[in-house]
Amino acid sequence: MRPGLPTAAETARAVRAGIQVVRTEVLPRAERALGVARARWLFRSFRLGHGVAAYGTVSARNDGHAELGDKLTFLGGMLPTSVACYEGARLLVGAETQFNYGVSLEAWESVQIGARCMFASFVRVSDRDGQRISPIIIEDDVWVAHGAILLPGVRIGARSVVSAGSIVSQDVPPDSLAMGNPARSMSLDLVAREASSA
Amino acid sequence: MMMLGLGPTVARLKLRRCESVGLRPTVWGRVWIHGEGEIQVGHRVLFDARMAPIELHAQRGARIVLDDDVTIEGGSSIEAQSYVTVGARSRLGMWCKVLDNMYHPLRGNRHARPQSVPIVLEEGVTVGSRSILLPGAHLQRGASVAPGTVISRRIPAGVSVGGSPARVLRREVAR
Repeated sequence: MRPGLPTAAETARAVRAGIQVVRTEVLPRAERALGVARARWLFRSFRLGHGVAAYGTVSARNDGHAELGDKLTFLGGMLPTSVACYEGARLLVGAETQFNYGVSLEAWESVQIGARCMFASFVRVSDRDGQRISPIIIEDDVWVAHGAILLPGVRIGARSVVSAGSIVSQDVPPDSLAMGNPARSMSLDLVAREASSA
Repeated sequence: MMMLGLGPTVARLKLRRCESVGLRPTVWGRVWIHGEGEIQVGHRVLFDARMAPIELHAQRGARIVLDDDVTIEGGSSIEAQSYVTVGARSRLGMWCKVLDNMYHPLRGNRHARPQSVPIVLEEGVTVGSRSILLPGAHLQRGASVAPGTVISRRIPAGVSVGGSPARVLRREVAR
């Protein structure tokens, strides 16, 4: 074998490694840049922080006052996420909040979401349910799991967790876990140790 | 296409990212398969995604097994970090979610991933629409789940459960 030329197997390995490098280092940045650009366009009627990225389809409308914080993430997937702020309403979303696909966020009067929250797929937040309109407040570091529904007039305390599929009709205190239909809250001290994976 | 008898061929094309596909698969609509894990599909499996797409997500090293004659309706999603099996003749309703990992711990660093617990659905299980199967769910033979139920534990054979938190609605009559 001549020393100058690599064998076919070596070439294949190098090509594969190159693809790997492209996939892990170049594509995520390109994807993020694309997401940021897409979010710029989709949320053009919103007051937008910097670094908001939309990786999938989002249907956004704003007839009121909607402010999105910095570094929000809207993931894409099976269904589009929808963010709507109707006339005279106020929608505030804090920094570094993440939304999975299919989240529906509706503000008819006021919806406030804190920083570093996580919204899983198919979560519905709406401050109007046909009978009444009353504001929803979600404090910082809240995790709302898959398919949960937040009814109007609910306040969710900081660092709380709303478990999958629950329907929250009453306030959730800070540091607690809300689960069930209607959701009951229990302290997170009862279900998880500090800083451990429960 | 159905008239031309191309249904199974098209279905196979749509399921090309699966490790193995059995005889005569049927796919209506869009199935979104992603992740680097293995997905094994048995014979005569039906994906009815006409209303909403179906998601199958197996992380690297994970495995999803759909046994023979399984029906999966639209909008349901199966996400595996370790192992999810759906037994023969089972039926997953619309907007179901099957997760074998919580993805985030309840407290502490939200980006650490907790341990995953395999999900097993045995034969002839019926899962209603909008139900959520959380890590640790184990539905034994012929169990049935009412719509909108959240489950994270073992359900004995022939029992039907419903509600959130889940409760037993009816036990099978003694045979």
